[in-house]
Amino acid sequence: MASSDDVVHGQGVRVAVALALKVGIPKEISPQEKRVAATPDTVKKIQKLGVEVLVEAGAGEGAHFQDGAYAETGARVVQAEELWAEADLVLKVRAPTIREDGKHEADLLKEGGRLISFIWPASNKPLVESLAARKATVLAMDCVPRITRAQKMDALSATANAVGYRAVIEAAAAFPRFLPGQVTAAGRVKPAQVLVVGAGVAGLAAVAAAKSLGAVVRAFDTRPAVREQVESLGAQFLKFEFTESGEGEGGYAKQMSEAYIAAEQALIAENAKDVDIIITTAVIPGVAAPKLITSGAVVSMKHGSVIVDIAAEQGGNCALTERDKAVEKFGVLIVGYTDLASRMAAQTSELFATTIFNLLEDVWDAKQGDVVLDLDDEVHRGAVVLNKGELLWPPPTRVRPRSHAPQPEPVVPKPVPAPTPSRMGPVFILAVASLLGVAGLFAPTDFAEHLTVFLLACVVGWHLIWNVTPALHTPLMSVTNAISGIILVGGVLLLRTGGHGPVTILAGVAVLVAMVNVSGGFLVTQRMLKMFRRGEGKAAR
Amino acid sequence: MFASAQALAYLAAAMLFILSLRGLSAQETARRGNLFGIIGMGLAITVTCYALMYGRDLSTFGEASGILGGAIAVGGIVGALVAARVAMTSMPELVAILHSFVGAAAVLVGVASYLEPDAKTEGAHEAEIFIGVFIGAVTFTGSVIAFFKLRGTIGSKPLLLPARHALNAVMVGAAIVLGVLFLGQPDPVGLPWLLGMIGIASLLGIHLVMAIGGGDMPVVVSLLNSYSGWAASAAGFMLGNDLLIITGALVGSSGAILSTIMCRAMNRSIWNVVFGGFGVTPTSSSSKGAQPAGKVHETNAGDVAQLLLASKRVVIVPGYGMAVAQAQHPVRDLTDALQKRGIDVKFGIHPVAGRLPGHMNVLLAEANVSYDIVKEMDEINPEFERTDVVLIIGANDVVNPSALTDEHSPIYGMPVLEAWKAAHVIMLKRGMSAGYAGVDNAICYNDNTLMLFGDAKQSITKLLAAVQLEAKAA
Repeated sequence: MASSDDVVHGQGVRVAVALALKVGIPKEISPQEKRVAATPDTVKKIQKLGVEVLVEAGAGEGAHFQDGAYAETGARVVQAEELWAEADLVLKVRAPTIREDGKHEADLLKEGGRLISFIWPASNKPLVESLAARKATVLAMDCVPRITRAQKMDALSATANAVGYRAVIEAAAAFPRFLPGQVTAAGRVKPAQVLVVGAGVAGLAAVAAAKSLGAVVRAFDTRPAVREQVESLGAQFLKFEFTESGEGEGGYAKQMSEAYIAAEQALIAENAKDVDIIITTAVIPGVAAPKLITSGAVVSMKHGSVIVDIAAEQGGNCALTERDKAVEKFGVLIVGYTDLASRMAAQTSELFATTIFNLLEDVWDAKQGDVVLDLDDEVHRGAVVLNKGELLWPPPTRVRPRSHAPQPEPVVPKPVPAPTPSRMGPVFILAVASLLGVAGLFAPTDFAEHLTVFLLACVVGWHLIWNVTPALHTPLMSVTNAISGIILVGGVLLLRTGGHGPVTILAGVAVLVAMVNVSGGFLVTQRMLKMFRRGEGKAAR
Repeated sequence: MFASAQALAYLAAAMLFILSLRGLSAQETARRGNLFGIIGMGLAITVTCYALMYGRDLSTFGEASGILGGAIAVGGIVGALVAARVAMTSMPELVAILHSFVGAAAVLVGVASYLEPDAKTEGAHEAEIFIGVFIGAVTFTGSVIAFFKLRGTIGSKPLLLPARHALNAVMVGAAIVLGVLFLGQPDPVGLPWLLGMIGIASLLGIHLVMAIGGGDMPVVVSLLNSYSGWAASAAGFMLGNDLLIITGALVGSSGAILSTIMCRAMNRSIWNVVFGGFGVTPTSSSSKGAQPAGKVHETNAGDVAQLLLASKRVVIVPGYGMAVAQAQHPVRDLTDALQKRGIDVKFGIHPVAGRLPGHMNVLLAEANVSYDIVKEMDEINPEFERTDVVLIIGANDVVNPSALTDEHSPIYGMPVLEAWKAAHVIMLKRGMSAGYAGVDNAICYNDNTLMLFGDAKQSITKLLAAVQLEAKAA
């Protein structure tokens, strides 16, 4: 009995193992790609779902995870052919592509297999079709919706964070100077000026990295809402006044009108003159990257400056970027590496492996031991591209910001309004017009002349005061007060008649009183202004 | 020949005044701006005096020139003495009383111009005189009342007579009636009407400012600043002098803008400030709103010192209480002591803190606090979340969270310093009395708020001693 029990038990185990899904982790075949979709740590977690894990030999090499480390977890280390033939579920980094032997990875996937990786379905139509032909179930890491619950599955943000950091490191390595400012015995070192274009995840990571290296950082984005995030990292947010919000759908920036881009180019060109390093991160999903740095702006940069163009994969934000190369143009090094994430492969693999495991866990049904999609679930619905060969992308609720519909609505740029209070405008104009009307009817000509002078002076005064810093309001008030003592001149003019009369006395008192005002006002202003001082003044000199 | 030279000199003076105001817009150029103003004024006065003497026979004119020289000398010396002596904490009073001088001068010049024998007698000229004198009189008495209110001679509570709007309307109406009568009279005969109007305008000035609460004083002072400009401009019209017109208009519009900026900072319209009688209704309306529970946490200087030394980022929010207690010097010493220990100290200034626009900045500058660490509301608000300790010194309404949360609060909608977002809030206060808006402050009852009662100067001095003691012990 005992032995037969054993046999039954043994067979049961074997049946269970045979029924359990096999999860394959292939080696990435793109030469640019050093990441891997699972680390030994996440392999252990995947196994706990009750599946067997196959890892292609050398899969973790680029990310510094040895085959032995995978083998220790109990995963089987196999060759590519075996892996593709056996795996029911494949976890990958890059979208499937053509191998050296001419076979497409998509065609190697088991009929009815499951695949989770980056897919970019908008620009990879043929890939989606051939996967559909395999009756595959495909989840795209790049389609995970950017909602709070899905943050732990957001591979794009996790990658962008590393890319932004690395971009600064690449720039710093190529920059022939210090980033932080120092005062040394051999002279003063000025801190490097860094401009970060686009304050998404990558941009903010770049801001933080540059800031922590001691550079002076300014950043720019079309979405005014990110201003606070930029400033919270201690960088200056460049003000961009143009009436068209860049807030697109899904937390990304949207594509903007031509006039808008021209205005952006102008702002960047203006800043390019005095910055040392530019990191550009402006990418809109599925659309060629906007050319924000013109070649003119590059020419105007100092020799030895560095541009790192994170958007190089989508054509680059700089007109002179060459994909996958670091080229020197007009004395400026322009770095167009598209493998910034792979340059941090150990780290980015860990992050990617965690996000892909989180997604797998989310769609995993423990009872069936398989991927089961709930199409009412926002995350599942967003991420799924194919369900058993059926095309479910794009999800219905999302308006597609994709390449086949790149026509943005024509937006007429409006000039930036003058910073005068708009409510006052019409009232003011009306008052002036009626005043002028009355004056024209009754007043002598010299009155009209005076009125002209008066109104012009009002306009000048109105425009002069708006940009006074609040700290100077008291000195401003006391200086205007002193200046209004000009009424003294009126008193002096009235003295012209001479004599003892009341006119002379009144005028004399007026002069006296106004003079108190003049001397008191100016002197007290002088006293106040002397007190205002700047702290660093002492230290720097 | 000389007339055109005079006109050019006036033009130069006007340009210098414009440059002066322009210079005052930034810290770096402010002192140069003031210098331009002084040069412009000197030029204008010299040229006018010279024009007066030019071609005159001094034997018949000696007396007038004696009066002129005497008035300028005495006025100049008195002004200089006052300016040199005044304490920075009394700056609001000084500015207010100086405004009243301009008002008085405008009234005097207007009356003198009317009485001048060879003056033009057209209706337009008389109307100019009438308007100029009216503005001057309102400015004069209004500024005097503002002066007494700021000094504390008159209580800062608004005086709200029944039917005060009707009263104002009646006074304005009466002034207009008198104006019509005045214009109907031949030249010197209309004097009683003019003097009657001065009386009414004076009452109007008193009544208008009496009805305004202490918290709104920054707006009132800058409004009076504006009026003093318009008064000078009106004098320019009556004398046919472009320099007066231009300068008056510059000052007038500058004051108007400052008032607008202040009003925006309080989320109120200028009408609401001038006619609203703010600060009395709250007793009824705050009882309607969420009444904060009355439990506060009291603390002492030693505990606060420990807390300060254990923190990395400290923000100090000064208010009128710091000015009253003249605590700015001890505050600066405390700032230095903390900075010496590597603690990041910043100041957060609300636009209407104090009784004058920019009041706090002037006080901190007097105490030699670097203006780099003195931040405006928009700069400091995002930082509170990362701040360990906020030290609120005699500020109240400008840190009241009810302004954002309680729709029934009379200050609802006013942008405030969001000090309560910091990890700890230390509130230095004399007692539990309300601020000028008369509103109870919900921040006092927060769990992360500790109250340090007492005079601000004494409290800060104790705190400084405790900080130095703690630091030595550590």
